Amino acid sequence: MTREDFIAIEHFSFFYGEKQALHDIDMAIPERQVTALIGPSGCGKSTLLRNMNRMNDLIEGVSHRGDIRLNGNSLYDPKIEVISLRKRVGMVFQKYNPFAKTVYENVVFSLRVAGRNKKRELDEVVERSLRAAALWDEVKDRLHDSAFGLSGGQQQRLCIARAIANQPEILLMDEPCAALDPTATLKIEALIRELKSQFTIVIVTHNMEQATRCSDRTAFLYMGRLIEYGNTKQVFENPREEETEAYISGRFS
Amino acid sequence: MEPKTPHIIREFDDAFGKLGKTVSVMASQCLLNLERAITGLMKRDIDLCRAVIADDNDIDEAERNIDAFGLEILVRFHPVASDLRKVITSMKMAANLERISDHAVNISKRARKMLNKPEIPETQLVEPVYKLADRLLRDALVSFTDLDASLGASLRERDQEIDRAHKRVIATLSERIEEGGELTEAYLHLIFVVRSLERIGDLAVNIGEDAVFLDRAEDIRYTKSRSGQIAAEDDEDDS
Repeated sequence: MTREDFIAIEHFSFFYGEKQALHDIDMAIPERQVTALIGPSGCGKSTLLRNMNRMNDLIEGVSHRGDIRLNGNSLYDPKIEVISLRKRVGMVFQKYNPFAKTVYENVVFSLRVAGRNKKRELDEVVERSLRAAALWDEVKDRLHDSAFGLSGGQQQRLCIARAIANQPEILLMDEPCAALDPTATLKIEALIRELKSQFTIVIVTHNMEQATRCSDRTAFLYMGRLIEYGNTKQVFENPREEETEAYISGRFS
Repeated sequence: MEPKTPHIIREFDDAFGKLGKTVSVMASQCLLNLERAITGLMKRDIDLCRAVIADDNDIDEAERNIDAFGLEILVRFHPVASDLRKVITSMKMAANLERISDHAVNISKRARKMLNKPEIPETQLVEPVYKLADRLLRDALVSFTDLDASLGASLRERDQEIDRAHKRVIATLSERIEEGGELTEAYLHLIFVVRSLERIGDLAVNIGEDAVFLDRAEDIRYTKSRSGQIAAEDDEDDS
């Protein structure tokens, strides 16, 4: 049984100092599904995504109201360590950002930080993660070459392999294809569809077609508010809210 | 359907405008063709019959244009939601209108053949069926242009009236045929004319169902009558 509220965002508001970036967001993100966050720039979708692993904590003067629960556990439970929380959440960014290391070392980086250095274990993780990221066949003969020698699309898939190496429960993706060409984009989208059998995926995207192609649920945010949230098919075929229709149809001023 | 706010890309609205206008013109031409076909039959006007047959080329051209415009919009702009439904239903509407015009042509060809023989009073039996079909078709077009799902969903029930009228006329003409005589061929022509009108009723129902999809994103084809339910939902929306 998968959980319908694997990520439960409960009346969540978020502030950068005085400025309120998110207003009373209430939504349940289902387990092992792909949920897309769409909306114009500045609508709060990346802020919401980054709050799912408390990345915004690093910014001075931020505050929040409400709660976010991962599989029932509050992110803001004082007993939870942010580091252990982040092990449960992998993150992929807009610009692929492999470390200046080999392909192999990129994948095992988080394991080495955690003190796990057994070669057999690391080898297994590298193969499993690269296979899951649909990259193994392309790089298996150059695992010990620099990651920078890979193409852009391959580097982004390497970042995905790195994000899932530690077997997180959740994968957060912030415009993962924004810097990629159409072919590399389709490969990442196909990968997202594959990965959802293992991970709960939340993706921020400006690309409407991408949201329709690879997400099961879509949330439309505007000016920090959740305007509409539903099955992707419903949102793009028959949105309930006029603002959603205006935005996805290109009639948004 | 006019967009509430302009599209960010002006060419999108231009392309949509062109599509909508072509569909409207095609619908008007179709109604006119049907009207002229029936008038040609009733008034024994050979010129009207010929005009309907000749003008069917314009209808075929309109269908090709609508498909081309629709395809262009799909390829260039990737429409979604009601814009996507508008493109799909416009293309389906064009196919239905083309078939309606084909029936008008069939009626005109039958009428032309009947002009070679003396007038028969049974021709008048066609008129009530035509009036029902014409009203149904006009309402189907209104449901599409006005986004009136309630009207669109009501057409299937009303089509039964045409079916009943069609059966009555066929029964009468069949009796005449059984009686034998030299008018048998003329009666057969009339049977085919009434049959075309009955088919036009079915095609009007299809347009009405597409209007429901356009307005509500709901596919009511092959379902039992949804008209009552949709009308009730409309009332709720209004209140």
